Amino acid sequence: MIAQGLRDRRWRRIFLIVGVVVAAYALLAPLTSLDFAQSANVPLLADRLWFRLATYIAMFIVMATAWNIIGGITGYAAFGNVAFFGIGAYTTGMLIAKAKWPFLAALPFAPVVSALFAALVGLPLLRLRGHYFAVASLGVGVAVGELVQNIDYGGQPLFGGASGLFLPIFSIDNRGLFFFYLMVAAAAVAIFATRWVLRSRFGYGLIAIRENEEAAAVIGVNTTSYKVAAFALAAALTGLAGGIFSQWNVFINQDNAFPIEYNVQMILMALLGGTGTVFGPAAGAVLLQLLIQFLGGSLPISVDIPFVSTAARPIVAQVILGLLLVAVVIFVPRGVIDFFGGRSRLSLSYLRRSLRETSL
Amino acid sequence: MADFVQLVILGLLAGGVYVAVGVGFGLVWGVLNIVNLAHGALVIVGGYITWQLFTSLHLDPFLTLPVDAVALFVLGYVLQRGVINRIIRAPLLFTFLLTFGLNLVIVNVLLLVFGSDFRSVTPSYSGQGLELGSVVIPYVRLMSLFAAILLAAALALVLNRTRIGLAIGAIASDRDAAQLVGIDLRHAYAVTFGLGAACAGVAGGLIAMIQAITPSAGEPYTLQAFVVVILGGLGRVSATVVGGLAFGLVEVFAQSIPGSGSVFANAIAFGLMVLVLVTRPQGLMGRLH
Repeated sequence: MIAQGLRDRRWRRIFLIVGVVVAAYALLAPLTSLDFAQSANVPLLADRLWFRLATYIAMFIVMATAWNIIGGITGYAAFGNVAFFGIGAYTTGMLIAKAKWPFLAALPFAPVVSALFAALVGLPLLRLRGHYFAVASLGVGVAVGELVQNIDYGGQPLFGGASGLFLPIFSIDNRGLFFFYLMVAAAAVAIFATRWVLRSRFGYGLIAIRENEEAAAVIGVNTTSYKVAAFALAAALTGLAGGIFSQWNVFINQDNAFPIEYNVQMILMALLGGTGTVFGPAAGAVLLQLLIQFLGGSLPISVDIPFVSTAARPIVAQVILGLLLVAVVIFVPRGVIDFFGGRSRLSLSYLRRSLRETSL
Repeated sequence: MADFVQLVILGLLAGGVYVAVGVGFGLVWGVLNIVNLAHGALVIVGGYITWQLFTSLHLDPFLTLPVDAVALFVLGYVLQRGVINRIIRAPLLFTFLLTFGLNLVIVNVLLLVFGSDFRSVTPSYSGQGLELGSVVIPYVRLMSLFAAILLAAALALVLNRTRIGLAIGAIASDRDAAQLVGIDLRHAYAVTFGLGAACAGVAGGLIAMIQAITPSAGEPYTLQAFVVVILGGLGRVSATVVGGLAFGLVEVFAQSIPGSGSVFANAIAFGLMVLVLVTRPQGLMGRLH
């Protein structure tokens, strides 16, 4: 028993050290692309591709961490959070492209508008439970994207229509560096927000709702306002990521602002890392996003999949991702990070036990 | 007035497809408590089988429907027995993710096999229709409405008159009691999912005759099936039939409003669903338990 405890603590320490080293490298490497670092002959550790990948990972950390607030802590299986990402992206995008606002003035409106929208749809939706809430929120995700693409005003598409919305390029030195740090800052905000929620009265109320909503109401939790607040907080954070994305990517349309697959990716990330925890979703986001990019062949290190042509590769990547999703759901219901966090060990008996717990 | 009659007829005809898509989805949801996000993908598998048989063997597309049903029953049985049964007692988020994963796999395997081109099934009579005064009813649409009603009737017959159907009904009302009286849950669950998939396959065959299909064309049908089942009320085949026809009517009438178009199909479906859930959660025909 004691030996087991010691080993677990050692694993946890190793995991923590690895995490800190990786995070420090990821945060410091881009500085080597600055002019003075280059003139001082520091080796270049971050190129264009690196920035793109790292910014995407940070973006998914925001989304997975935000989903965790409503899905993991409150226990409401939101399946349409991509709507908030898209609303954030289009809010900032419209203010910049149509109203000619500067980016930094337009960005704060992304989380505000997303949160307001979430509160508005949350009031009827959060009265639904289980499957009903999940599919209704999926419906919101699909319907909002469709409305944004197709709403006309005076014969003109209001939001750029099917051809999308082009934003002027934000002129700043080291753009890649700027957007990377901006997205990292958003990720930090999301993680600190989760930490705050978990330690506050508000968070205890949310956990009570997850465990037993009637009992929570009986002990005096105002379940409706708590749920709506959690939904709006998740939406605000997701919308912030969307707002940054719109100016970073310069072009937004229905496909890149409302991708249905993001809904599932953010949930899978939170699930991989462990729902209801502070850092779990972030760790899951790093793992899964690296895996997706690796399978898609856009990492510098890549392995050829046998019998697969380059053209078919992205499709095969999707098949593998689907199979992985199935495998994770079946075998590892409590998240991969569970093992590294020292709460249980990866072993055959663990897999067998989780199978037995859920199967018929 | 003639316009109104035409819209009603078109609505009922459109509803036929939704009946076919909805009955299988409702069965799986009602009995297994699974919202099957791969339902639309299974529908399109049926569509491709019909397309393949039609183009290579020149079979009449309506004759391919039984093939769709049998093939999809086998696929559904295997999926439930091999995969979904393993997490049937897990929280709902897991069944959601699992069926989404299956959806991803099926759609992308279809992409690998058939490519992303639009495929359509056009038998010789596809352009013809029945003329009633100023109203024209396309034969294919009319036939598919009949086929859908027939499908629902067959499903109701299986559920109410056969031994396995009664077992499925018993499971739906009390799983533990059903197990106590000796029903093999694993088998019965797999048959249920297989029947649901078979209905999806027939729906896919009908859809392939009405619209051009691609591997991802099934995705809107998953959401629409959900709305149809909610609209009618969960738990009975006849309720889903009413829900499907009502949904077809709503869609056709909503699209006839000037300024809107088929582009808002999902938004209409979604708005209708929230309206029903908030005002009448048991559906038009449903009974609250």
